Amino acid sequence: MDICIQSRGHVEVVGIAGSVDGLTAETLLSTLQAHVDNGNTRLVVDLSAVEYTSSAGLRALLATVKEARRRGGDMRLADINPNVRKVLELSGFATILKIFGAVDEAVESFGAL
Amino acid sequence: MTTPSPAVGVRSFRAVAMADLPALAAFVDTACDGFGADGEVRFAMRLAVEEVFTNIIEHGYRGRGPVLVEVDGGPRCVRVRLSDEAPAFDPADAPVPDLESPLRDRDPGGLGWHLVRQLMDEVEHRLRPAPPRGNTYILVKQLPALAPDA
Repeated sequence: MDICIQSRGHVEVVGIAGSVDGLTAETLLSTLQAHVDNGNTRLVVDLSAVEYTSSAGLRALLATVKEARRRGGDMRLADINPNVRKVLELSGFATILKIFGAVDEAVESFGAL
Repeated sequence: MTTPSPAVGVRSFRAVAMADLPALAAFVDTACDGFGADGEVRFAMRLAVEEVFTNIIEHGYRGRGPVLVEVDGGPRCVRVRLSDEAPAFDPADAPVPDLESPLRDRDPGGLGWHLVRQLMDEVEHRLRPAPPRGNTYILVKQLPALAPDA
């Protein structure tokens, strides 16, 4: 799993590539939480290159969005492949996370400051 | 319990720790592919196997212990058995996640077994009393029906 983070104005776009599983999820969680702890509480997670996630990945996303919202921000998801989306839906995450078809759309959803 | 028929051989893999997860995932993917599973079925089986394996290693053994993973199948389904030597655990006792609660109340506990039950067509747990004592978890996923010849 690779993680690449880019700033798009007041939003951080987190691009993940590969598999998020029981071994890699901890790296994802610590990376996301470090950004939130540094005050970057508006996150868009680009999932276009994620071909797999288990519940370990869901736990990392859940912990991050909780902390981001607690600090007044949010974490939004974009460009999810069908298998990963199905996991999110089966876990009830599709109703508590904001999901967008494209990264640009998710970034714009935060609006201008 | 569905019986894959005709069987075309059992493929097996031995794992002992979370570090074996990538090799286990590759084994399951290749084995299921060999039984004609498409991408969606392979995804579901990889996920279910990871969830069960993780539960065995983290909760059953609390770190490390032998897990035998066997895959077989036939024209209609693929089946995976995971056998451990850990204390008895019936997945029916796993907590049921509340998928309706607001975000602040969400607890990720129980998501793993929930996903296994949602993605598999059959989930069975057996206790093995004879040595080596332990649990065997059996996961079955039906293959999509073959399209009739034109």
